[in-house]
Amino acid sequence: MIWRGLLILTLLLWGPTAAAGQQQVTIFAAASTQPALSKLAERFEQGEDEEIGLRLVFAATSTLAKQIAAGAPADLFLAASEDWMDYLARRDLLAPGSRRNLLGNRLALIAPANGAAAPPFDWSRPQSLLALGRLALGDPDHVPAGIYAKAALETLGVWPDLAPSSARTANVRAALALVERKEVGAAIVYRSDAQGRGDVVTLGLVPSQLHPPIRYPLAIVAGRDSAAVRRAYDFLSGPKARAVFAEAGFQPLANGG
Amino acid sequence: MLELTPLEWEALLLSLRVATLSVVVSLPFGLFIAWLLARRDFAGKILLDGLVHLPLVVPPVVVGYLLLLLFGRQGPLGAWLYDHLGITLAFNWKGAALAAAVMAFPLMVRAMRLSLEAVDRKLESAARTLGAGRLSVFVTITLPLMWPGLLTAAILGFARSLGEFGATITFVSNIPGETRTLPLALYSLIQSPDGEAGALRLTVIAVVLALAALAASELLARRIKRRLEG
Repeated sequence: MIWRGLLILTLLLWGPTAAAGQQQVTIFAAASTQPALSKLAERFEQGEDEEIGLRLVFAATSTLAKQIAAGAPADLFLAASEDWMDYLARRDLLAPGSRRNLLGNRLALIAPANGAAAPPFDWSRPQSLLALGRLALGDPDHVPAGIYAKAALETLGVWPDLAPSSARTANVRAALALVERKEVGAAIVYRSDAQGRGDVVTLGLVPSQLHPPIRYPLAIVAGRDSAAVRRAYDFLSGPKARAVFAEAGFQPLANGG
Repeated sequence: MLELTPLEWEALLLSLRVATLSVVVSLPFGLFIAWLLARRDFAGKILLDGLVHLPLVVPPVVVGYLLLLLFGRQGPLGAWLYDHLGITLAFNWKGAALAAAVMAFPLMVRAMRLSLEAVDRKLESAARTLGAGRLSVFVTITLPLMWPGLLTAAILGFARSLGEFGATITFVSNIPGETRTLPLALYSLIQSPDGEAGALRLTVIAVVLALAALAASELLARRIKRRLEG
């Protein structure tokens, strides 16, 4: 019995981990890109490059940037904010010349769908945001979607009143999930998050002049440049990927925008 | 019986692997510390005792952050390990095992210390007078007598490691196939829209796993008891 136990132990400890023989490219990507990027990864592995596997890690841009700075094994980083990409650039953690702005996005005010058609939100009367109930948004201390949302609410002058009754989430998808579960009255997420979700209604897009422009920079992490990583990088910035991103509610930016 | 998806298998196997490495590595260290605490008197014993128990009382995030500071790429221990042995712990499954081991360590030391203190020292003395060396006494008399304690320590440590979340996500992130253990996969699902069904399934798996571990420990304990008595 002891020997059998030891055998199982050994297999558990030294058996193969991931799919062996396949090259793995690890992409750290902003949570908001999850649906589009997952679809793209499937296409990439099936059609474009069968010998390269894409490993996707989704979390708030801020969380991922901190982890890359601490040495996490990311090959590519797709961030939802230029500030957090700057954070890595300042630490010389980006492969020179590889950074480009891939996508733009918009913020959307959403609420749980209750069957009735919701009247579009009137941004000239921002105080009525308070009447929607608890508002979910990415944690404005670090999550890009939350930072953009807070900036817009500050411009509107309602942030001090709203802040105490907000629900701060670890990433923007979690704010969407809270609305879908009807745990909050409303949320500010990206337009791409709300697109195609049956359980939420978009009350309105947040006017883009209220907050800094939303940009998604893509870069290769310093020291991780290889042929396989380049192939994934080119695929993500290529025309097929643009089409998928556009369909998912992003604005693909021309030539590094 | 519910069919597991590849992602669930991945998380499950990874959890088992992480917990196993965690227990295998910390058992000998834990035994040594338990022996120090139970049998030796030395300056700084209270400090050592406190340090060992620290992971039990500080927030797991603190442990994860300290591990990252120490074993991260720029951390003093992390840099040394990489330069001299080529080992990286941050952001891979071995790091997850380290985080789990640190969190489980106090529980394991406690269990072993208690059983060590319950060993009748007269039996050891008798063996010594019959000419057995210190090490030989420890291996042939002490260890077999504290066997139930060792087993409890291993199972407690294993169960604690399976459930480790806070220190793990802080230290090694949430990378599918590498560090996304059951609790982390569950966390990701809770946070994502459409995650509902998957989260429930993982909850069931986690409960089944915990029950299986407890049942196994109970059965083994009975068997050992019978052998010790018989």
